[in-house]
Amino acid sequence: MKSLIMIIIAGALINNVVLNQFLGICSFLGVSKQMKASASLGAAVIFVITIASAVASLLYDYVLKPLGMDFMKTIIFILVIAALVQIVEMFLKKKSPSVYKALGIYLPLITTNCAVLGVALTNVQEGYNFAECVASGFGTAVGYTVAIVLLAGIRSRINEKDLPAPLRGAPIVMIAAALMSIAFMGFGGLQL
Amino acid sequence: MNGVLNLSSSPHTRDRWTTPYIMRMVVLSLLPATVVGILVHGWQAFGIIALAIVSAVASEWVFDKVCHKPSTIWDGSAVVTGLLLGLSLGPKTPLYLPVIGSVFAIVVCKGCFGGLGKNFINPALAARCFLLISFANAMTIKPSIDAVASATPMGALKAFEQVDITKMFLGTADGVIGSSILALLIGGLLLWSLDIIHGQICFSVLIGFTLLIGLFGGEGFNPRFLLAHLCGGGVVMGAFFMATDYVTSPVSRLGQFIYGCLIGVLGGIFRLWGNTADSFSYAIIIGNVCTPLIDTYIVQKPLAYRKIGRTRRVKREPFRIPKPVIALTIIAVIAGLALSGVFFVTKDTIEEQAMLEAAAAYTSVIPGAKSLKIAEETADLLGDDGIDQGSAHINACYVGKDGDGKVLGYALSITAKGFGGNIVMALGLTPEGEVVDIAFTEISETAGLGMKATEPAFKDQFAGKSGTLTLVKGAASADNEISAISGASVTSNAVTGAVNAGLEFFRTVLKGGN
Amino acid sequence: MKKYVERLWNGLIKENPVLVLMLGMCPALAVSTQAANGIGMGLSTLAVLVLSNLVISILRKVIPDQVRLPAYIVIVASLVTVTELLIKAYLPDLYKNLGIYIPLIVVNCIILGRAEAYANKHTPLLSVMDGIGMGLGFTVALTLAGALRELLGTGKVFGAQILPEGFGMTIFIQPPGAFLIFALIIAIMNAIGIKTRQRKLVESGCDGNCSLCATAANCETKQPAEKAGKAENAEKKEAGAAEEGGAAK
Repeated sequence: MKSLIMIIIAGALINNVVLNQFLGICSFLGVSKQMKASASLGAAVIFVITIASAVASLLYDYVLKPLGMDFMKTIIFILVIAALVQIVEMFLKKKSPSVYKALGIYLPLITTNCAVLGVALTNVQEGYNFAECVASGFGTAVGYTVAIVLLAGIRSRINEKDLPAPLRGAPIVMIAAALMSIAFMGFGGLQL
Repeated sequence: MNGVLNLSSSPHTRDRWTTPYIMRMVVLSLLPATVVGILVHGWQAFGIIALAIVSAVASEWVFDKVCHKPSTIWDGSAVVTGLLLGLSLGPKTPLYLPVIGSVFAIVVCKGCFGGLGKNFINPALAARCFLLISFANAMTIKPSIDAVASATPMGALKAFEQVDITKMFLGTADGVIGSSILALLIGGLLLWSLDIIHGQICFSVLIGFTLLIGLFGGEGFNPRFLLAHLCGGGVVMGAFFMATDYVTSPVSRLGQFIYGCLIGVLGGIFRLWGNTADSFSYAIIIGNVCTPLIDTYIVQKPLAYRKIGRTRRVKREPFRIPKPVIALTIIAVIAGLALSGVFFVTKDTIEEQAMLEAAAAYTSVIPGAKSLKIAEETADLLGDDGIDQGSAHINACYVGKDGDGKVLGYALSITAKGFGGNIVMALGLTPEGEVVDIAFTEISETAGLGMKATEPAFKDQFAGKSGTLTLVKGAASADNEISAISGASVTSNAVTGAVNAGLEFFRTVLKGGN
Repeated sequence: MKKYVERLWNGLIKENPVLVLMLGMCPALAVSTQAANGIGMGLSTLAVLVLSNLVISILRKVIPDQVRLPAYIVIVASLVTVTELLIKAYLPDLYKNLGIYIPLIVVNCIILGRAEAYANKHTPLLSVMDGIGMGLGFTVALTLAGALRELLGTGKVFGAQILPEGFGMTIFIQPPGAFLIFALIIAIMNAIGIKTRQRKLVESGCDGNCSLCATAANCETKQPAEKAGKAENAEKKEAGAAEEGGAAK
């Protein structure tokens, strides 16, 4: 049990998927303009990654590995993720149209989010069992949500008019991300 | 009438609370700590502080000029940033460090975001962490007073040794320049009494920290233990002077309590279980990062605030499988078949390559071996998956023989958990169980730090060793000591643990079995 | 002929995938720790990008619109895996140097981004040129960032010691450094862009100082972010119209 908690904390904070592993940067930079969209995207990502990790783990352990079809894992994982995102999209469209609208194009883009595929592939590489895969996926997704929500908060404070002209737009967001990354390095090597 | 008319809207009040006034008070309150620091640590301490302040002011002046803005150096905030940074450096820090740190603090942390009031992170602390990461070696506190003692008070505390609290209180122990707790407390309480800093923040930081250390530190609420932790590592400085910065702390009172507790708790966690050089600085800047979020959600409810009612349910549509899914499935199947085809064509070639590579690693650690086979005596024990040994995992054991069939040595394939993933190495042993060489088949540690394990400077230390090896910081003095890579303790531990596991395996299984 | 060369120039400078379009940041930040890595990753991506643009452009009338994103991903993933297997088997030395980057290409937004924005609307030959252009732009950006990070972090460039030993600021070969270097490069490009536009304005009779200008709101030349935003909106409208047209059928 303790090791599962460590996996979650490691995924979320120590090896933060965005600030440390550089997965999911595109949506991280794009969606963090608005707080509400960021929180919603984060929640959707947690759902998709956790379930995708679980399903991918089962498929790999019981179908791909025994049949020696390790090379098919990328395609299979992507199809699983695409299906899950479709489900989330349909769910949001019915239950919460405002959130669906706020997320806009970024919802289908979860399919192409490097973080989702990346964590599924990492789970295979680390040889995690089912529980560990789910924990790792959940932890990674929580880390993604934490990072994007914190950046959204910081960006809400930044007034483009105050900045030197060349820094407006992408550069200042990257500097903010750099400072966040420095802060998160405080978690490095944490061993509970 | 002479002069320009002052145009402003009501209410018209004047207060002595201007930015320069506040900054002057902060500098005043830091004076005791500065004076004590210089007296105790000497002229170099003065140089560091002076350089930090001058660089900070200079970089702000230059940055304002480059951005065509009016000069802001007279509001005193650059002086405060420089002073805080200087006080948080060690007395023997190379003099280019405060310069680089100040420039980073003013230009990147403050200037790029728009100047005073627009930054979200404490510039002095962010610069300190920047320096810690960039110049890990130069930033370690070298003893300047207790030349005989091997560790600073914080290092000793981590090892549960006794610490001289009085020295830390007065500021005569080893540490950063501004480490006189007494002087810092005088300044801090002065600021608090003037209402320049908020009690909510500094005291909730201290209480949060104390609670965490008390509950999880391993010695309960032992006053000596708690005081020792509180007096070291920048806790007091951080609580009174860094965390309380207006710009980077929350606005609401509740927000400030939460922020303070968060910093205190995080600081405690990093102090007890973390692996970085400075626990409290990171805790505070993480708090800074969370401040905008705290400010967004912890606001006072506006007047006449009411909750909006729920919307009515919409009728559901029947469920149908969308046609494009079929097309997607077909594409996936075709792609899958194509992939399988390529896979089967290339399978054997790839396997051959892998075996050649592994063989290359094993033969490199047993020089002169003409044949390499799985060692029969351990084949059953290791099986397909290998066994755990110590902190590592023995995957396989090969015996290398020369042309005449004489045993030249053994090659063990060992896996250990490194910082960035698994480290798989080949360990070559003589028939007597001494290390010949190590080669890495899989290693993905941090470049420039953990990856130094593959360089001869670290790797070759293991040659000729046997018995149980211990890792030491600094130079190795005894025969069974290995000098760790500075800044890469996890990697060094993993490799040493793996070698120890191999040696232990040899002693218990190979030699014992024979 | 000119429009093919234009694709090259576009990918390299005008719409550099990493520095202007902000695609492919994930591998760019992760891999740019050394200049040599930049070249390795850049060239591998170029190969896959050209192939994927080609395949998707050929199949563009066949793939149904609603599932085009997952379909593209499947195609790209297959191409990358095939490339990896082939290199692993027949070019083992090359694989040793490039091997770990190839799986990373699957999650490279550039490939999907260009498939979505260009390859599915243009002819195969144009798409191939676009792929080459974007691939080159990616390689140049990565190598530049890698060289800077390696230089500041270790004092070396391409393994050759330029600055004195022991100079290195190790933060630059770690995550925060990646963000800082890219921020710097993009900021410099922005600054050059602003100066170029200001010079053009001066030539056309204005002093280039937007903040004091009364007609700044209606000014013809705008910031790159807004221009990209307009281009995005135009493309979205195009895609939306195409979807509606498809649905109407």
